[in-house]
Amino acid sequence: MTFGISHRRAAGVALTLAAGLLLTACASAEPAPSGATDEPGEFVRGEALRLGVLGDPLSWDPSQAHVGHLLQPYQAVYDTLIMREPDGALSPMLATEWSYNEDLTELTLELRDDVTFSDGEAFDAEAVKANVENFKAGNGRQAAQLADVEAVEVVDADTVVLELSQPNPALEYYLSQAAGLMGSPAAIGTEGIATLPVGSGPYVMDSTSSVPGSQYVFTANENYWNPELVKFNRVEMKVLTDVTARVNALVSGQIDATLVDARTAGQVEAAGKTLSANQVDWTGLLLLDRDGKLAPALADVRVRQAINYALDREAMLEQVQLGAGTVTNQVFGPESGAYVDELDETYSYDPEKARELLDDAGYGDGFELTIPTFPGLESIVPLLTQQFADVGITLIAESVPPQNIQADIAGGKFPAAYFFLFQGEPWVAINQMISTEATYNAFDSTSPELQKLIDEVRITGATSDDAAKKINEYVTEEAWFAPLYRLDQMYFYDPNTITSVPQTQMAVPSIYNYSPVQK
Amino acid sequence: MTEPTPAGQSGVVVRSSVFGRIVRNPLGLTAIVALVLIGAAAAFAQVLAPFDQNFSDITNTLAAPGGEYILGTDSGGRDVLSRLLYGGQLTLASALLCASVAILIGLPTGLIAGYYGGWFDSTASWFANMILSLPGIMVLLSVRAALGPSVWLAMIVFGILLSPGYFRLTRTVVQSVRNELYVDAARVSGLSDLRIIARHIMSVVRAPIIIQTSIVAGVAIAIQSGLDFLGLGDPAQATWGIMLSDGFRNVYLNPLLLVWPTLAIMTTIASLVLLGNAIRDALEDGQKIKAKRRPAGEKKPSRSAALPTVEAGTEQHLLKVSNLAVGYPQADGSIKKVVDDVSFHIDRGEVLSIVGESGSGKSQTAFSILGLLPDTARIVGGSIQFDGAYTVAPGDETVSSERLSALRGRRISYIPQEPMSNLDPAFTIGSQLVRPMTVVLGISKAEAKARALELLAKVGIPNPQRTFDAYPHEVSGGMAQRVLIAGAISCEPDLVIADEPTTALDVTVQAEVLDLLRTMQRQLGVGVIIVTHNFGVVADLADRVVVMQSGRVVEEGDVLEILRHPKHPYTQTLLASMLEDKTPMTKLTVDAAGGIA
Amino acid sequence: MVSFTLRRLGAGVVLLIAISILTYSILFFSSANIARNLLGDQATEEQIVLKEQQLGLDQPFLSRFADWFMSALSGDFGRSWFTSEPVAVAIANRLPITLTLVAVAILLTAIISTLIGMLAAVKRGWMDRAVQIGAVIGYAAPGFVIAVLFVTIFAVQLRLVPPVSTISPGATAAAWFTSLLLPVIALAINAVASSAQQLRSAIIKQLERDYVRTLRSRGIAEREILFRHVLRSAAPAGLTILSLQFIGMLGGAVIVEQIFALPGIGSLAVTATASGDIPVVMGVVLFTVIIVIVVNLLVDLVNGWLNPKVRVS
Repeated sequence: MTFGISHRRAAGVALTLAAGLLLTACASAEPAPSGATDEPGEFVRGEALRLGVLGDPLSWDPSQAHVGHLLQPYQAVYDTLIMREPDGALSPMLATEWSYNEDLTELTLELRDDVTFSDGEAFDAEAVKANVENFKAGNGRQAAQLADVEAVEVVDADTVVLELSQPNPALEYYLSQAAGLMGSPAAIGTEGIATLPVGSGPYVMDSTSSVPGSQYVFTANENYWNPELVKFNRVEMKVLTDVTARVNALVSGQIDATLVDARTAGQVEAAGKTLSANQVDWTGLLLLDRDGKLAPALADVRVRQAINYALDREAMLEQVQLGAGTVTNQVFGPESGAYVDELDETYSYDPEKARELLDDAGYGDGFELTIPTFPGLESIVPLLTQQFADVGITLIAESVPPQNIQADIAGGKFPAAYFFLFQGEPWVAINQMISTEATYNAFDSTSPELQKLIDEVRITGATSDDAAKKINEYVTEEAWFAPLYRLDQMYFYDPNTITSVPQTQMAVPSIYNYSPVQK
Repeated sequence: MTEPTPAGQSGVVVRSSVFGRIVRNPLGLTAIVALVLIGAAAAFAQVLAPFDQNFSDITNTLAAPGGEYILGTDSGGRDVLSRLLYGGQLTLASALLCASVAILIGLPTGLIAGYYGGWFDSTASWFANMILSLPGIMVLLSVRAALGPSVWLAMIVFGILLSPGYFRLTRTVVQSVRNELYVDAARVSGLSDLRIIARHIMSVVRAPIIIQTSIVAGVAIAIQSGLDFLGLGDPAQATWGIMLSDGFRNVYLNPLLLVWPTLAIMTTIASLVLLGNAIRDALEDGQKIKAKRRPAGEKKPSRSAALPTVEAGTEQHLLKVSNLAVGYPQADGSIKKVVDDVSFHIDRGEVLSIVGESGSGKSQTAFSILGLLPDTARIVGGSIQFDGAYTVAPGDETVSSERLSALRGRRISYIPQEPMSNLDPAFTIGSQLVRPMTVVLGISKAEAKARALELLAKVGIPNPQRTFDAYPHEVSGGMAQRVLIAGAISCEPDLVIADEPTTALDVTVQAEVLDLLRTMQRQLGVGVIIVTHNFGVVADLADRVVVMQSGRVVEEGDVLEILRHPKHPYTQTLLASMLEDKTPMTKLTVDAAGGIA
Repeated sequence: MVSFTLRRLGAGVVLLIAISILTYSILFFSSANIARNLLGDQATEEQIVLKEQQLGLDQPFLSRFADWFMSALSGDFGRSWFTSEPVAVAIANRLPITLTLVAVAILLTAIISTLIGMLAAVKRGWMDRAVQIGAVIGYAAPGFVIAVLFVTIFAVQLRLVPPVSTISPGATAAAWFTSLLLPVIALAINAVASSAQQLRSAIIKQLERDYVRTLRSRGIAEREILFRHVLRSAAPAGLTILSLQFIGMLGGAVIVEQIFALPGIGSLAVTATASGDIPVVMGVVLFTVIIVIVVNLLVDLVNGWLNPKVRVS
């Protein structure tokens, strides 16, 4: 831009003019977007939002939807019953209000009555019932979200009641995620919806321009019930699995926003892109074999604590993540109610103490510990190996094909594993790695004390923070894990074209969080 | 060499060992030195490497080169130099494994298929074709998905994928030598098949296999690094490919990490290729010709300089060759002469015969006249003049193709020895006759065709039109030679050079072709040079004879005079062998010839 | 010629079946965790068992293969387990890109390596040496290193072309051109390096044949001998060299497509094999083998046509 500060007004006029021209051009091509006018200060819809995405949705059937960065594509075409704001607060979407009965087994939802799906079907209580049933029958990746929903009762056209077999403190959250995505009752359950989504979302898929595995193109839904959420005429999602490709595409201006990693962030930053980071995952060791089935040493809490003391978390954060993250000793995130500040001082780097603990436990001569390794751990494994060696433990990293990694960890093939795990709501986290049903509690470790706390969280629901904190304290002190740090998600966007607000607990923003730059 | 070198053979290059020749080839030597260094560095990694390959300086990742870490550290804080050395072990060993697997499968099957043929041959060939049409990377991807990321496994599978290369190579070589005389002899003398294969056939197959292996090892290293790049390698063990992919991940932070493994891979592959080339060159010809370097300051003879005029009083000769010497530069800088101090002339309408066995330089002399010597040949002395003008002036190093292209076809023409190989199999006989006429005589195609048919009839072809339309493979050898004679006289030359025009033909056909030559010569009144080893031909056609031995003229004179009173013992031997109705197959030395006389 | 073609096609079908069985059995043993990977880490054991039933993963090998084989015979290659896209559609969407990439690259290779090989064979001297050295370097440089170098220099630094493919359904010719330019060159460099060298040898071999000398003696110009006779005689050898390069390029495309984010068969193969998406892998392998069979057949037919002995009889 050649204009100095004093010319700002002139520039502003020029830009307004340009924007006006742009709008007229749009208007002549298609029906004028409702509410869009030439008036200055009014929101002007962006032409296109071009995102670099990491992977494909498996299927556009909402019952197969996923969470985290894989929720974003579904959000473009489907609305959720409840909206999750960027800070995690829940607010009305297709459901205008919702409330539990006294024993937390019935959730009553009041629905909007002005929503239609892109195929013309109306959204109503029957549609919700059909979707919930489809979700439960679909056996999708997040089927567990509605595992506790036993039945759906249609009260009237815009009232529906979800009946639960037992209280589920995360249900409202789930209804803002995969389980809340509403597809057209005429399309769900058919084979076609796997490749062509039919929802009520702010955008409609342009299937002729979309190639699964390569790119998805969406156009604005002109009949959308909430025009404010339709901020672009067109949304393109380019599937770029390789981080270098994402970096190149973003740096060269082919896309407006994408997720990169700490090692490439400098390159992107130098190209003038804006970082919009948040923390979603923690990374570290899961010391799974707490009963010592495969590695007897791990049965001793002192050994697990020794491992925690042996790790120089600051050094590793600095070396592997170039400092982009926060070291931690706990597996719950700061946004969750279970977070306890003081716990992060439990295990400081102290190899001397680690050796002492190992001595006390009778492993002064060390032992062998095998963990699976897979692409992505190239930098961290040598660092871990060295630090383990420094206290006398021989770490053996066994290569496992990526498609087996999850099964091998969950199936109890390894006594410990280095992994990246999502830091969600307490109940989600508990069911991911702490309860006996949890995938990453491979050896079903538990204790009566812990089980009591878990049951308490389930029943007390939204007010369960105290119990969740106790669980956190329990697993930290028992050294069930050896967390290293929470990773910064290096999400960058091009400040010249869009703005983007990070979404809590999601590596990429919700589709609603992007806005065109207003000129 | 166990036999003493016979004395008196000066100027002949001593046959050196293949290894010696490879080492004397600068590229070959470089390749060997590089490979030995790389191999030794990898083999002694345990001794040479300053650190263990997995020792990690946890606070010093991606360090720049210098200080304690000569080449810096990688993203895991490990010493790059040490990993390069250890990585070499695994990379080279697994590439060797790949080649070994390919050899173990391809060599025996190729030997059996080539030696015995039959059902085994067809089955094995089918399998080879199947494996060849598999897209290699896809197979490796599937295997990796099924069986895990082991480098060894991938290389074994890749070895299987490469085995058809060895199979085909071995099979072809074995087939080509299976019926050679010495193999027959071995078979007759009662050697078992196994002994024959082990003793005779393996020695032939060995060299191509070594060359193929140098290529295969390079391919294996490249594929391995490609798999590692795709993230399909085993990160637990250092290979150059694993290091390369670490470099890719950190290309924005430390691009040097990319440089070291790339250099290692490129040097190794390039050395392997160069070694393969050097072995091939060393085997192909022990006398790899090196372009002669002009001493500094010496100027290239100017092309535009006016040609000197020929010696007065010799203009009337159709062709005059004076003191001609032709040689081939050797790898050691010397020049091996194949024609030395040869002089003769021929006049219009005369038939001159150059006689000698193979190696006597007679064909080289003929090709000097035609300007068809191989590129590597040098005129090292003498001159050639045609119709009063030099084609090779004294001091010329090569035959000027400029001067000769005006003469070839138009005034000097050529009848080759082997009729079938001297016709382009891809074109009809007619088009091969017509084209030179349209070019040289500038006549239209139709005119040329009429003329060609006329010529074919003239050389005694019973159905000219059919032969005109035929492809070379559809006519007999005698017929093809008639076609070539027709071609040679098609543009009414003044001089025809016939190089052993009947040697390759049946005895009955020989007589017919000689008849034809005689008739044509008489009718057209052209000068003819007949190059032959056969005094029968000489007696039949020639007016005068030049006898050549070992590149020199030993006797020259009128045909009757020489047939009746051969003076030189070599001429006598040649004559004697003709009378005994056999062709001397081996090169006679002066001593041997003298002994017979 | 017709019976030859039919025989070759018959052998091709046998080959296809053999490769299907081979690939399917390799994949069968790697598909143990598909259901879990599809369902993610929230899935319960019951869910996984159910999913395995839905996909037929609980069936024994023979019945699974038979099912797949019978549907494949009827033209139904199933749907991807991971994207739900019909395999036939997935391949049809991506094949044009890979074929264009490889076809243009092989064409470029054919032209350039023939030119270089010819110059080296005819001129010898420094030209020959330059070609030999260039061939060694071009051959020794791993293709993906060249590709990455290209992206970094020409796409990211100089911004001459986009670093990531812009090919999508209905993309303009310009988009195809800019997206394929660098991948094609990257693919062709290795191929040119090795085939120029081989073509040089093939041409030298032809130049040394007797009939070339006879043609020279007949007064035919060197240029005509080269273009009309020598190149034609070297063509069968050249075509065979190029057909092998073509097969090699299908492999090279896997890596190049990955680097340039080209939505072709290669990148499909990588993601499908990495995730264990058997229907897609089977489809990709089958189509690749079909392409290879067709190319080999074409080369044989052209070689037959070039050879009067085969053509005339």
